[in-house]
This record gives sequence, structure tokens and C-alpha cells, in this order.
Amino acid sequence: MTSFIVVCKKELADHLGSKRFLLLFALIIVLSLVSAYQGAESIRQLGSGAFVNIFSSSMSGLSFTYVMLMFGPIIGLALGFDAINREKSQGSLSVLLSQPIFRDSIINGKFLAGIIALSLLAVSTIGIMTGAAIPMLGFGPSPDHIVRIVAFTLVTILYLSVWLSIGVLFSTLTKKTTTSMLASISMWIFSAVVISIVASLVANTVYPTVWPSSVYSSGGMLDQNFFDDYMERMELQNELRTTIQRFSPSILYQEASSAIITINRVPVTSSSGELIFDSSTGFPSIQYVDEAQDILTNWPQIVVLAVVAGACFAASYMIFLRKEIRAGN
Amino acid sequence: MTSFLVVCKKELYDHLGSKRFLLLFALILGLSFFSAYSAADSVRNQGTAVFLDIFTSSSSFVYIMFMFGPLIGLALGFDAINRERNYGSLSVLLSQPMFRDSIINGKFLAGVSALSLVAVSTVGMMTGIAIPLLGFGPTPDQIVRIVFFTLITILYLSVWLAIGILFSTITKKITTSMIASVSTWFVSAMLMTTIAMILANLIIPTYSTYGGYGMSRTGDDITVYLGDQVLTGDEANDFMDRLEQQNDLQKTLCMISPSLLYQDSALSILSNNGWYSTGVVYYDFAPPEYDMFVNWPHMTTLAAVLIACFALSYIIFLRQEIRVGN
Amino acid sequence: MSEPMIKTNQLTKHYGEIKAVDQLDLTVNEGEVVGFLGPNGSGKTTTLLMLMGLSLPTSGTASVGGYSVIEQSKNVRQIAAMLPEGAGYYDDLTARQNLRYIGELNEIPRDELETRIDELFDMVSLKKWADTKVGKFSRGMKQRLGIMEVLVKKPKIAFFDEPTLGLDPKATKELRDLLIRLNKDYNLTIMMSSHLLYEIQQTCQRVLIIRKGQLVVSDSIANLSNHFDGKDRTSIEFELTKVSSDLIQKLKDIDGVTSVDKESKNKLFVQTNIDKSQEISEAITKSGSTILLMKPKEHSLEEIFLNYYEDD
Repeated sequence: MTSFIVVCKKELADHLGSKRFLLLFALIIVLSLVSAYQGAESIRQLGSGAFVNIFSSSMSGLSFTYVMLMFGPIIGLALGFDAINREKSQGSLSVLLSQPIFRDSIINGKFLAGIIALSLLAVSTIGIMTGAAIPMLGFGPSPDHIVRIVAFTLVTILYLSVWLSIGVLFSTLTKKTTTSMLASISMWIFSAVVISIVASLVANTVYPTVWPSSVYSSGGMLDQNFFDDYMERMELQNELRTTIQRFSPSILYQEASSAIITINRVPVTSSSGELIFDSSTGFPSIQYVDEAQDILTNWPQIVVLAVVAGACFAASYMIFLRKEIRAGN
Repeated sequence: MTSFLVVCKKELYDHLGSKRFLLLFALILGLSFFSAYSAADSVRNQGTAVFLDIFTSSSSFVYIMFMFGPLIGLALGFDAINRERNYGSLSVLLSQPMFRDSIINGKFLAGVSALSLVAVSTVGMMTGIAIPLLGFGPTPDQIVRIVFFTLITILYLSVWLAIGILFSTITKKITTSMIASVSTWFVSAMLMTTIAMILANLIIPTYSTYGGYGMSRTGDDITVYLGDQVLTGDEANDFMDRLEQQNDLQKTLCMISPSLLYQDSALSILSNNGWYSTGVVYYDFAPPEYDMFVNWPHMTTLAAVLIACFALSYIIFLRQEIRVGN
Repeated sequence: MSEPMIKTNQLTKHYGEIKAVDQLDLTVNEGEVVGFLGPNGSGKTTTLLMLMGLSLPTSGTASVGGYSVIEQSKNVRQIAAMLPEGAGYYDDLTARQNLRYIGELNEIPRDELETRIDELFDMVSLKKWADTKVGKFSRGMKQRLGIMEVLVKKPKIAFFDEPTLGLDPKATKELRDLLIRLNKDYNLTIMMSSHLLYEIQQTCQRVLIIRKGQLVVSDSIANLSNHFDGKDRTSIEFELTKVSSDLIQKLKDIDGVTSVDKESKNKLFVQTNIDKSQEISEAITKSGSTILLMKPKEHSLEEIFLNYYEDD
């Protein structure tokens, strides 16, 4: 057994036994079950028959993608943020480095252990949700949906690993675990909350889309030129907002996964293209088109996520390999 | 100078020089600047322009404070006591001729001062840039509202400071109090609405939340469309009653969160809700006193949370044993 | 003689079931340098915390400089200073800012404080580093800062809890010299705990040994050493030109000699229960060796200390 595997095994055992990991794991399982219940309920009610909607239905604001979007970073960071600097401040790093191993075994082993733990989390959570939803719905996923679920699981693991590598990077860059924890939390808040606010504020400022008061005074009639201009600005504003938001791994994950698990809801139309109304409710009839988007519609987002994970890992790798071990470290 | 003021001065100096504080302050100032700028732009283009809208329109200052206010409050408090304990400076500090309460009082006052600075300067900056953009300033009534809103904001920030200090008193490790602080913020700002909705639906089930419902009214008769069900007469009335109860419960549950309390009370002070007096309904801004009166319960709840957290940290800190290695 | 600087009366502290300090009675006079010894967990630190008024006794009383540590703890902290074990400083502040903070808390007037701080930096030779952030300090430098924080309030009595912990031998010696000088120049009463018994032996006039929260010894080191062997036993140290195994055997055969230890090539310790120096000298001369030195053996504090803890 090479030293790399030894480190990995020890780290994995540490993770699986750590309170931090187990607590977050339990939290995610509970939230996921709530979201699976809601997802199944909405599928039943709307009769869509699209199994993957158990992951994407967000009628109560707590879909599985939202749970992952919000808590995924926390669990990824939790496994990484003190990987190196804790050993340094405890003094166990110098002991470890005095063994006949190369330094890269340490960081590789830690990283792999983290990915395994995160994969375990993603696979078991999605598995439990699928298992719980089948009896609730009375039917299981179609082969196409099974492919989608697998792809979704892989994207989720990639997303979690991005956060793991960000955490490991912070733990190599900082001396104190409190500093790397603060950095990790800030990064998470930035990616999950701040970026959206910044994006819409900046986009609003750069391309203001305001009805001038003249529109109100002209008796509701719109000038066609003004309207076209307005729509164009609106589009530019949206584009700028999306571009800024894409700096956040969370938004990238949201986009990448939505292509995989969102089944389009479209109004039923007659052959002449007119809306058909439901006679009992008076609302337009809705149907679920099980011709969802191609799984790889948003492949650039997936590539960017992979690049971010790779870059953070490479950076921590290089910094760690070059770091001097000094007195008291 | 009493030792209380010495501690307060040192802590304030620490805050104003700390990266953590400056970063969050810069973030809030920057976001507020954008917010005021784009809000002024939209206010200018509307016929019914009211100065106070600069604080409440989309991605508003109220929302920024709702989200990031807790973070800056917690950031100043979450390691106030346990950091000193961990670094060993607490026992040195306690060996000086003063009483323990000077330490916690000093730290609290320093935090409140720093937070007041954040609130006053941000609100001031926003007002300052909005006046030239709009070409008009707030009316005297609106100035009263702005001042009152600033005070509520300071109160809200101080609540989070007190929560942070409480965590730093009851936990030993800084990482523990940090996790506790972030979790509290997350629940209060992001999850509370969902939790309240789920709980309310469990306690007073009406219909599955996941579909919608439709309603039409002819005279006093109500018809409710619920999926493929159609409710009429008493059934429909009953449904609407339960729905109202559920909504009320949900609102009440939301008030556990200081963030939602603040949002509610800040928005009601800054916006035109109409008002009534002796049976007459006015669709205009109420006199400021009226809105302050309406907000009284919110304010007292926030103040009660603040006092409870502070008193608890105070008592725990005063009774805590200084032991070997602390 | 005036009132003692420290006086405790049945001082007791319980942490739950554990009796950290148990009915302790001790007295320290003004101007004394006292070593406070005991193994880990014997109640040293707890006692010092109670004497500073930082921890309330479960029962019993204590006074420091005439003030009760219970009712007048603030007054106690005005005249007493402590360097706690593992004391910490504000890493983001400079040494001078750290000292200023402590000084201001002691309500020392501004001008006086600045002069005093400058004097202290000279005294511990840390002037160069006065305006450096403490985060960059080595352990020894931090310890010197700790000593300045003790002295800046001009205390009448100073408690040092393990002051030499983590210091190199040179820094340890400097610290010892500084403490002795302070005692001489300012008549500062010092009570220090240390696990380095050699340090205590070199610095202190008197030692207090505490065991399981109770005082077992309070005496000068010289007295302790003299009484160590008991009334009817003496140890003599011989330095000879040569030591043969034959000689050792001969000495052991003398009636009244209880043990003979060969310390080094030409050093012998002989322990007797009655005075047999005459016979011993003769035996040595007979074996063809010459006595270069003969003196009663001095016991190190370590031996004395271990003696009290044999049973643990």
C-alpha cells in the first residue's frame, strides 16, 4: 500500500467519524427528504409524471437543488478548510513529513479522501430521495430519467469538490484555522448571497430600465421606439446580470443542473396555436413535456466548475510543496 | 478615565482597524451606494416620487441591512470573550484593578458605537447622493422617519452584536462560536420563511401548498378552485378562514427571526401604507408618530432580544470560573 | 514586624468533587522571594488565582497587602500583579500599545505612564522592539513583555506562574537576575511557581511546597537540606585521588556505614548513622588514596522535593 493510500484511508476514517461531517450529513438528509416529499407531492398533484421533478420542484422554495446550492458549499468547505493548517498548528505536520513519504502524498490523499466522502454524501442522498419517492409516486424513473439522475449526481459531486478544493486552498494559504474558516464562510456567503445582489445592482445601474413619467402621462399609449429600446435594455441588463453571477460556482451549478433535471412546463395549444383553457378552473391547461433539454446543454458551466476545482487544487498543491516547515509550525 | 471607558476605547480602536470590520463596512457602503444610485434613478422617473423610496426600492438598503447587518453585528461580537480566553489575555486583563463587568460593558459599548457609525454613515451617504440626483430632499416629516429608521437599524445591528457576544461567552473555541453565529444568521435571514411556511401548513393544514388555488367572488358568495376540486358556500368560507389562520400563524412564526422583524418594521416606517383614524381611512403617509406607534411591538421585541442576550452573557461571564490554562 | 504581605487562613477551593486547594494556611512577609512548588494539579495556580481575587474561595479567607481577596479584590489587584501561566497579549498591537492599555486600566496618569514604559523597555532591553507588533515576538520577548505588564503598575507583590516556561537557558538566567534585582532595589515581594527546581533554588529565599492542596513544607532551602537526612543520619562527600572497588567494600564493612555510592571516578558519597569519619579516613588512607576534599553533602531541591512526593 503506498503512502498516498495510507493518508487517504486515515483521512476518510477521520471524516466519517467527525461530528462536523455527520451533523451536516444528517441535516442534508433531513432537508432532502422534505424536498423529496414536496417534489413528489407536486408531481402527483400536477400529474406531470416527470420523475426528475422530485429534485427540481421548488414550489415551497426548498427544492433539492436549492438545498445543495446552499448547504453543499458548507459541507465541501467543512471537509477542507483546516486540512493542512490544523496539522500545522497541532504540530502533527512536521511529524508526518518526517516519514519516508513525498509531500504530494499528503495533499493528494487528503483531497481524494474528501472527494470520496462527498461522493458518498451525494450518492446516498440522491439514492434515498429516489427510494423514498418511488412508493409515494407509484412509479419509478424511466431509463432516460435514470441517465439524468446519474448525470445530476456527477455534477453535484463536481460542485461539492469545487468547494472542497477552495477549502483546501484556504487551509494551505493561512496559518490559523480561524482565519481559513472566516475566509471559507465569506466565500460561501459571497457566492450564495452577495453575488446576486451585486449583479442586479450593477446591471440596474449600467442599464437602467425605467418607465419615464412621460409614459404615464401619455394615457397608457406606448411609443413603439421607446418600447423596443426598453426591451433591448432589459435584455442587456439581464445578460450583464447573468455574466456577473457566473463568477459564483453556486450559480454555475444551478445552471448546469437545471438543464439536466428541469422538465419544461408548457401551456397546451390547439393546432392553430391558441391556448386551451381548462373549463373547470378557467386557467390555461398546462402539460409537462418530457422532452427536456439535452443533458449537456450547459456544458460550458460544467467545464468552468471543473477548471475552478482543478485550479484551486493545483494552487494548493504548489503552495504546499514549496512551503518551508519552520520552527513552531 | 474609568476602566470601562479604557476597555471601550481600546475595543473601538481595534474594531475600526480590523480587516473584518472594514471589509464588511466597505461591502455595505458599496452596495448601498449602488442601491441609492439606481433607486434615485427610478424615483426620478416616476410621477409619485417620494424621497424615502431610495431606501426601499428593489435590492434596497433595507434588504442589504436585512442580509448583511447580522454579519457585521456578529463579526464584532462572536469572538469578543473567547478570543481573549484562548490567547491568555483574559487572565492578564482580569488581574488589573477593575471589575469584570467593565470588560463586557466596554466591549458591548464599543460594538454599538462601531455599528452606529456604520448605520449613520451609510444612511447619511445615501441621503447625500440622492439629493443632487433627485433635485429635492426629504421633507421634515421624512427626516423624522429617516432618523427613526436609523435608530431601528442600530437596534437591529446591536441585537446581532449581543447574540455574537453571547456565543463568545458560552463557547470555548472561536470556531464553535463562529459556526453558531453563521447558523443563526442563516436560519434567521434565509430559512425562517420556509420553516414558518412548512410549520404553519403542518399545524393548520389547508391544502397542499404545492398547487395553487383560485377564487372568485360574486356578491358574498365565494367559489374556490383547488386542483380539480370546486368549493362553494360554507366549504369555501371555511377554506378561506383556515387559509387566513394559516397565514397569521406563518407571520407570527416568522417574527421569531430578528431579521424578519426588522424588515417588517423598517418597511412600514419607510413606505406609505395608508392609515386610519376615527373610522376614516387615509391613503396617504401617516404622521410619523402613527407609524412609530404601530411599530412599537416590533421595537420592543427587538429590544427584548437584545437585553436578554446581553444580560445572559453578562451573568455567565461574571460567574465563569477562571481556571488553570484560561 | 509589620503585617505579613500574604496571609491565608484555611483557604479552600473545590471544583465540584475535586479539592484543588484544601485548608491552606500560608504566610509570606514583605520583601521575601518565595518559591511555590508542587507537581501538576497540586493547586498552585488555583491558589495564585485566589490570591489575585480572580477566583472565589469555597471557604476560608486570605489577605494580600492587608486587603481581603474576597471583599476587596479590586484593591488587591491594585497592589498585586500577576504573570499567569500561558499569559497572552494582543498580537495586533505593538508592545507599547499593550503596555499602555494595561497602564490605563491601572489609571496611571498619562505622562507618568509614558516615562515608566520607557524605563521598563530599558530594564528588560526590549527598546528596539517597542513599536513592533507583538504577533512577531518570540516566546522570550513575549515573556519579557509579560514582566513589563507586571511591573508597569508598580506592585508591592508580584506573582509569577511558571515564568520560565518555554524560555531558553540564557533567557531563564536573565529573568532570574531581573527578579533578584527587583527584589533588592524595590523591596518587591515575589512569589513564584516553577517546575525548574534549580531556578527556585537560585532565586528564592524560602520555598513552600504544596501537595494535594495542602502546605507540606515552608522553610529556607538551607534548613531543608540540613534536615533532609534526619537527626541521626549524615552524608559526607569525599573527593579522593583514586577509588578502588576494594576500598568501597572496606568502607561498607565499617559498622555504622549505611551506604557507599561511587559518584564519579574519584568521588564518593558515604552515608552513616553515627559519626564514623575517623574510621573512614583511616580506611581511605590505608587503601593508598589521599583525601582531597571532605564535606557534608548538600542536597538539591530536587532531592528534597522528590522526598515529599515519594508516595505519589
